[in-house]
Amino acid sequence: MAGHQLIDQHLALLAGRLPGSAVDELADGLTETWHHHLAGLSPTSAADAAIAEFGTPDQIIDAFVTHAPGRRIALRLLASGPIVGVCWAAGLIASRGWTWPLPHAPRIVFGLLLCGVVVALLAATTSRHSYRRTRLGAAGGATLLVLDTAMLTTLSIVTPPLAWPLLPAILASLIRIAWTARSLPAALGR
Amino acid sequence: MESHAQQLKGHLDALLLAALAGGPRHGYAIKEALREASDGQFELPTGTIYPALHRLEAAGLIDGTWSTVDGRRRRTYQLTARGERRLQADRTTWREFAATVTTLLERPWPATS
Repeated sequence: MAGHQLIDQHLALLAGRLPGSAVDELADGLTETWHHHLAGLSPTSAADAAIAEFGTPDQIIDAFVTHAPGRRIALRLLASGPIVGVCWAAGLIASRGWTWPLPHAPRIVFGLLLCGVVVALLAATTSRHSYRRTRLGAAGGATLLVLDTAMLTTLSIVTPPLAWPLLPAILASLIRIAWTARSLPAALGR
Repeated sequence: MESHAQQLKGHLDALLLAALAGGPRHGYAIKEALREASDGQFELPTGTIYPALHRLEAAGLIDGTWSTVDGRRRRTYQLTARGERRLQADRTTWREFAATVTTLLERPWPATS
């Protein structure tokens, strides 16, 4: 890969835990650092110096995890989730949502998926050393986008003319759909 | 200097943007520019700069493009118009903050009775 066995080993450790494009970029930076040190050191000493200057695999991976787009999405969705949830709870209670003509199975599936989303988002936000786990934030965001869309579609089909108490919930879901749809491509691409 | 490196972390975004003010650079060149401009006082582990660059790119403040150099894939970053505006705002904020702290640190404080 880069030109020295020590550097290749360092990059191999990173390759198993970070996205390919990030490892390509790190390989370029580490090789540049090695070339910089080659001016006054033997190849092996230069590789040692370059690796020391570059940071340990754990340091680098932890930095990527901290800034991971999936983790940022999860943090924002978890922060906004209670507000959206309260809007829906208030709207459904005021509109007597339990009287709507909906079979039990979709209600249960919806609830289970929502619980799964919360678990995925929590797993992404609490990740400190695993970049792979931060990707659960993007998966959770995508699922939540589907659930928001399904809820709005269901409202438009099976409920009587919309009562005003549901308007804040609809608005909250529309804002969340727009924000999630805009943020997801960057998270899914890394 | 470790203490300076810790202080740097709080201002990393602004410093990365400033390092790109002179034109496009790749990750290692950005790190070297910061080290040289600070006479070696600000030095972070090079590998930790890349995720910060990715975050700035996701925020639309910088734009990255791939090229191939010596058979390696290289990502080079440049400021976007939004990034330039943010850098100007950060510079103004910093000048005001630094002036205030300097005034407080250097003014003669009257003794309490």
